[in-house]
Amino acid sequence: MPLLINQKVVAQDSWQSVDVETLESVQNLPDGDVIVPLTFYQEHRELLLSRSGRLGLQVNGDDDWVALSAEQANVALIAVEFPVFRDGRGFSIARQLVRAGFSGEIRAVGDVTRDRLAYMQSSGFNAFVIPEERFSADDLGAFTEVSVNYQGTAADPRPLFRR
Amino acid sequence: MGETFMYQYNEVDQTLVDERVEQYRDQTRRYLAGELPEDEFLALRLMNGLYIQRYAPMLRVAIPYGLMSSLQLRKMAHIARTYDKGYAHFTTRTNIQYNWPKLEEVPDILAELAQVQMHAIQTSGNCIRNTTTDPYAGVHANELEDPRAYCEIIRQWSTLHPEFAYLPRKFKIAVTGSFEDRAASQVHDIGLHLVQNDAGEIGFEVLVGGGLGRTPVIGKMINEFLPKEHLLSYLDAILRVYNLNGRRDNKYKARIKILVNALGADEFRRLVDEEWQHGRDGELTLTHAEIERAKSFFTPFDYDVTAATDTSLALQQAEDKGFNTWYERNTVDHRVAGYRIVIVSLKPYLQPAGDITDAQMDLVADLAEKYSFGEIRSTHDQNLVLADVKKSDLYTVWRALEAHNLARPNIGTLLDMIVCPGFDFCSLANAKTLNIADQINERFDDLDHLYDLGDIQLNMSGCINACGHHHVADIGILGVDKKGEDWYQITLGGSSREDAALGKVLGKSVATDDVANTLEKILEVFVERRQEEELFRDTFKRIGIDPFKENVYATAH
Repeated sequence: MPLLINQKVVAQDSWQSVDVETLESVQNLPDGDVIVPLTFYQEHRELLLSRSGRLGLQVNGDDDWVALSAEQANVALIAVEFPVFRDGRGFSIARQLVRAGFSGEIRAVGDVTRDRLAYMQSSGFNAFVIPEERFSADDLGAFTEVSVNYQGTAADPRPLFRR
Repeated sequence: MGETFMYQYNEVDQTLVDERVEQYRDQTRRYLAGELPEDEFLALRLMNGLYIQRYAPMLRVAIPYGLMSSLQLRKMAHIARTYDKGYAHFTTRTNIQYNWPKLEEVPDILAELAQVQMHAIQTSGNCIRNTTTDPYAGVHANELEDPRAYCEIIRQWSTLHPEFAYLPRKFKIAVTGSFEDRAASQVHDIGLHLVQNDAGEIGFEVLVGGGLGRTPVIGKMINEFLPKEHLLSYLDAILRVYNLNGRRDNKYKARIKILVNALGADEFRRLVDEEWQHGRDGELTLTHAEIERAKSFFTPFDYDVTAATDTSLALQQAEDKGFNTWYERNTVDHRVAGYRIVIVSLKPYLQPAGDITDAQMDLVADLAEKYSFGEIRSTHDQNLVLADVKKSDLYTVWRALEAHNLARPNIGTLLDMIVCPGFDFCSLANAKTLNIADQINERFDDLDHLYDLGDIQLNMSGCINACGHHHVADIGILGVDKKGEDWYQITLGGSSREDAALGKVLGKSVATDDVANTLEKILEVFVERRQEEELFRDTFKRIGIDPFKENVYATAH
């Protein structure tokens, strides 16, 4: 699945998203950088923190924000899942992460397609995983379709009247 | 006259609408080419005001806080003529709807609108909708402060808000600037009332969780005085709490009112305050300069001081009974001597409430240009307003309006109904509404009788989604479907004003042919029990629903 960072397609993604449902045991985790669900992390926290690769957490709107924000210093990436197109909780999660000072990668996963990329970026996402069948090279144009922003963005929180 | 004091769209606003048109054009192209799935295009087109209705798409165009210029109204007339069937429909959100556009022509319509800085952004979909206000803002005598400056500030903040475009459900904000509520603010997701504290400072009383639909609720106060500079940071906190916590499993339980009811107003307030601590005094804090800039677009017109000395009006009133009746019913006191607020009735005999033809739009645009500083307002109850007409011009304005069937002297009466389009147009509706409105018009055709009854608000919806606001009218009519037949449930005693209340159900619903008969029986009770010039709502408060029930149902068997 194509990964966009800084509005460009990244050829190599060092991160592996772990399907914990099919994982036989926590010892079978692959080497390298892994993304695991927040709930899985909470169950195996010590072990995961002692691994050598980098750690990423995957969350969605049902997860506990307080628990996530308490762990943000321990992780290099937070993947925020958009379960369906209409679910907009991920926008606020990204916004909160930026506000809380999280400086790692904030990756949008799930139902991530062209027409929401610009809003995702403005809300604080800096990486986007787009399903293969929905990706087209034209999608990169989505970030610049609308140049006006009244409210401020994650990168520049000043509303128009303060710029 | 020419000069206008409306919000002047600048380069940024123009760029936004232009870019948005191209973005939507591309979305439509990708949808028609099969590149964009139906459900995604649905959400995207809704955020651009486009519904698919019973017979055709429906395009809803935004009129921010109900304020438009003659130039803009002429453009709307042009669109009705060129892309539709020569008419359009004003809604309770003070927007305008076109019922017959072609899906593939919508990008062209939007491009035409953009030429006059208009658009259909966020007129539908699960996002922040058009902010509404008092149609008499800035010109009514009993006003604390003109609410439109704050509406404009909210418009900018809410337009294409990246974080709040995929909310659990739609979100509506209303702002009032006086004690009198002509914006139904208490049945909005957020109602903002400009108020003054003991220190003489201006701020907002904040209500949340009001709404109509299948679960009508009066909004609950969560902040009795929000200093005005905190307006946006506080709205931001409310919206974030809602976006993260509102239900998404059931669209009928997704509005903020359900969340506020589930948590209780105190807990909701606590969550908002907790969230607000992060944003309070932050970048969203309104600067003095920004508030003053917004206010500068709504400074009073350069009124003619000699207008107060006019003597022609009294003569015309004495000589022309028709004019005098219209003056009494369809004009309102202006805060400047020598001027009146004129209500253009969009409730003509046997025509759908809120409908207007292209020729009528052109006429109103011309009248506004000549006699009302080039500005027109649309109202929550589906009429138009020329807010600043000199008394000496009223007769001319009346003649012109009357010649175009826009001067029926029925404002505030039983026939000044709010009516949704109903089954004839809307795919959600269960029952027809337009035929019932006609039935009521035919039955209560005697205007003298109507005036005797005094102000009565009658609202009608064709289904429980309540677009016709039937819950909050003196008399509410709700169309229901019973085994394929249209029946009508009647409620009494509702109000969308400062004394907001939800109507009580009168009893079992009545058949299509019995609606006007039932209204007569209700009004019989009112006339019999009324004390002197008492209004319907006051009589109802005094005697309750039982006498009405008895009279309506006693003879029905």
